Amino acid sequence: MIANDISASEHLRAQVMHLLSGVSEHGDQHLAEVERDLVQMDVLLDEAIKKLCASFMAIHRAVDLQQEALDGLLAEGRLAPVHAARFEMLRGEINRHVAAAVTGLQFQDMTSQLIGRMVQHLAGLRGVFGALDASGPVLPESNNEALLAMLSQIGNRVGTCCTERAGGVRSTVNQRHMNSGDIELF
Amino acid sequence: MKTILAVDDSGSLRQMLSFSLKAAGYGVIEAVDGQDGLDKAKQQKVDLVLTDQNMPGMDGLSLIRALRAMRNYQNVPILMLTTESGDDMKAMGRAAGANGWLVKPFDPARLTEVVKKLIG
Repeated sequence: MIANDISASEHLRAQVMHLLSGVSEHGDQHLAEVERDLVQMDVLLDEAIKKLCASFMAIHRAVDLQQEALDGLLAEGRLAPVHAARFEMLRGEINRHVAAAVTGLQFQDMTSQLIGRMVQHLAGLRGVFGALDASGPVLPESNNEALLAMLSQIGNRVGTCCTERAGGVRSTVNQRHMNSGDIELF
Repeated sequence: MKTILAVDDSGSLRQMLSFSLKAAGYGVIEAVDGQDGLDKAKQQKVDLVLTDQNMPGMDGLSLIRALRAMRNYQNVPILMLTTESGDDMKAMGRAAGANGWLVKPFDPARLTEVVKKLIG
């Protein structure tokens, strides 16, 4: 009877350790993949914004030169009034699009901050999964008290990880759209 | 020509700031973080400072405090341009010596309007 109790206790202990180690290992693997994807996304967004900004500046320079040429024609009176009016209307339209593009092109500043925050949270979560790993400690006794002590130790490690992270990753981006933000003069 | 110091760790943001302010007729000096901003402000007196808050190393609030401690920057307008919009942060900015708070993303016309109001 006693031998059966010890065997069941050992079996339970082995199952708990197996479960915890599995959760720790697989959780960490998945989070590492997510972390890699986020870093890659950040790199791609960084390259994309550089190219978008370069194209925007090049287009703007070209449009500026075109407008200068048209201004020249206008000054020489070589444009019919109807064309001059159309030209002025298009100039206003271009300016509105330029302003909208300048606002839109600021997206990467915010996405980069959000990705950075996600990566920090992932690091915290990987720390929690690391703390769950029960493969390390070798218990001298195979009884329920020892198992409870081990679980309590793991619980404390997880608690410490959570406390260390709490408040450490402050949210700095609350924007949910790309409309321009408020302005307040003190 | 009035000169503006634009401090932000985001390259694209600095580029958009520079573009908007230069189009409005201002000269722009760019700095990549608070320390770089402080160094450049020491090298050349500017007419207005526009700074982000969250930057590696020296943040925007620390930069404002450092600038306000300098005799020739006590009356120079300083604007915060940041993603943060919380009242507590605004209060901290005000206490540090900021003259205004702009929440990103900025609209170029509204930005230049505020700048014009402060430095002409």
